[in-house]
Amino acid sequence: MKKDILFTLPSYFRDDMNIYAYRFGKGEKTCAVVGALRGNEVQQLYVCARLIAYLREIEKEGGILQGKSVMIIPTAVGASMNAGTRLWAPENMDINRRFPGDVHGSTTERIAGALMERLRLYRYGIQLTSFYQPGSFVPHVRVMDTGRQNPELGCEFGLPYVYVRTPRSADRSTLNYAWQLAGTQAYSLYAGKTEEIDEAAADQTLRAIIRFLGSRGVIRGDATPGHASTIITNDDVLSVTASTAGLLRRVKFAGAHVRRGEQLAFIMNPLDGSVRETLKTPVTGMLFFVQDGPFITEQSPVFQILSGQKG
Amino acid sequence: MSVVKEISSVASIALAVDEALTIRRCRYAPQSGGAGRVCLSTGIHGDELMGQLIVFGVAQRILAQPDCLHGVVDMYPMLNPMGLDIGERMTPMGIQLDMNRGFPGAKDGTALEAICHAVVEDMRGADMVLDIHSGTMGKTELFEVRLCARHADALIGEARALSPDLIWVLPDRTNYNATLTAALCDMGVPAMTLEVDEHRRKPQAAAERIVGAIFCKLTQLGIWTGEAAPLPAPETVIPCIRTGEDVCRVSCECPGIYEPQDRAGEWVAAGETLGRVFDALTGEVRETITAPSGGLVFSQRSYSPVYPGTLIARMFTGKCARGGQNA
Repeated sequence: MKKDILFTLPSYFRDDMNIYAYRFGKGEKTCAVVGALRGNEVQQLYVCARLIAYLREIEKEGGILQGKSVMIIPTAVGASMNAGTRLWAPENMDINRRFPGDVHGSTTERIAGALMERLRLYRYGIQLTSFYQPGSFVPHVRVMDTGRQNPELGCEFGLPYVYVRTPRSADRSTLNYAWQLAGTQAYSLYAGKTEEIDEAAADQTLRAIIRFLGSRGVIRGDATPGHASTIITNDDVLSVTASTAGLLRRVKFAGAHVRRGEQLAFIMNPLDGSVRETLKTPVTGMLFFVQDGPFITEQSPVFQILSGQKG
Repeated sequence: MSVVKEISSVASIALAVDEALTIRRCRYAPQSGGAGRVCLSTGIHGDELMGQLIVFGVAQRILAQPDCLHGVVDMYPMLNPMGLDIGERMTPMGIQLDMNRGFPGAKDGTALEAICHAVVEDMRGADMVLDIHSGTMGKTELFEVRLCARHADALIGEARALSPDLIWVLPDRTNYNATLTAALCDMGVPAMTLEVDEHRRKPQAAAERIVGAIFCKLTQLGIWTGEAAPLPAPETVIPCIRTGEDVCRVSCECPGIYEPQDRAGEWVAAGETLGRVFDALTGEVRETITAPSGGLVFSQRSYSPVYPGTLIARMFTGKCARGGQNA
């Protein structure tokens, strides 16, 4: 294992912030893995730390194949993690909205630009990311529809789903999007929780990355078999939205199979306990995403349901 | 009084605990008929307060000279009421999104998307929309009008009527496409972003200038016949940034505390000092920031902590002699 500093951001009031890269193997730059880009992405940091620990042992056993290499960046926002801020506080910016970045630009553009300079050299890219809303996903691989995507390759992670997402305006400044445009086959993995460690989802995500590295010939394969992935698009996912506000009490959780008309959650008046709304599924399918905040605002998506045969 | 004043709700989303997030509009209209419609919006970014004073100033003048109003003026002073309440730029509500990257929104989208959709639909058909922004706590700005490149040719003449210190044609970057004004322009509604100085210690004078400029625009559109600033003379030159070569971004390279020299609005020569970054712990000056080329300083950082890359100043460096390039 080699550890080097990819970028240093000097600070006035605090210690400098270093972005570290952990590298295994030599030769072709095969695969890069990026963890936390937001200060609350604890699960993403944890999965990277576990992956580095795993590869450290594998390397000692000669398990990294000749001429292949992998790089892992566990976090690019250590300072935000210590300060407990999701965004980069001095600029109030989300680093995952600053790509491809600019090494001569603003502070967040420099961070993104420095990352991109290194990441663009790799053939495959994996980003461990979080959704902008609090909630739980069924673990899956996500890939932006940039015209350069290769969802079939994403099936090698062995997660149940590969979600090809049509990018919206704001998505075009994310790492996943910029990485693909730079020529890397980039995938985002949603590893269950964000702000807390979810051991089961972390294990599943870790196994998926190890499976992909084995499949791509980076490490000797000892991974457990994965799922036969189903490729889905925006058209396969249906939202169930709250038409009122209050305390959200879920009845069903991510991964549950639900039948049309089945109760998913209810929204309670937070002052007197009366039920304001019962959320039911309009289709039979599988709960792909479940919002898990205690409060719900009117017109907020609470569930995403994978409907039809794909669910 | 011959003005009808009507406050209405444009969008309302119920919040969890006994409150609704409501976007309100105040309409001023003549009793009969109308010569057109202008919308004034502000408060998309909750840390920018200058628009409150400007909208208040416009309302005061209309109410003082009601017979001079011949069209509709719609005011939307609090587009991000939750952010304004706590001085937070983004929409709070747990998700911290920049509302001015969410337009045109979607009727059946998330709460924020639905609000954005309702706002642009309410503004549809207006003859002009002016969205007022102001520098954040750490920055001083001249009075700028910002236009998106793909609509700039149609709007530069409109922008001149506001007599700004600078017109900035922003490139068609993807994230700018989702601003309120860009989305409105794409819908065929002429719309411009006004960037004005926050000037928290003496806001009245800065606001009064913008109020005058707005009434000049209303006069030009035939909506107002009362007191207004004059249109700029045809020979008046207004610096205009049309390409990246016309603007210079000055940033610092050392972290520390930035101590500015007040250069906003000055034409400086290459090498002139803009400010310095110091270290109170060691008592040393870490960096002296100088102008990399000659030009007009139209945006400058205030006294504040900085990191490498922090914006110190923006300068107009277009090919023109002192005094500006014609817009």
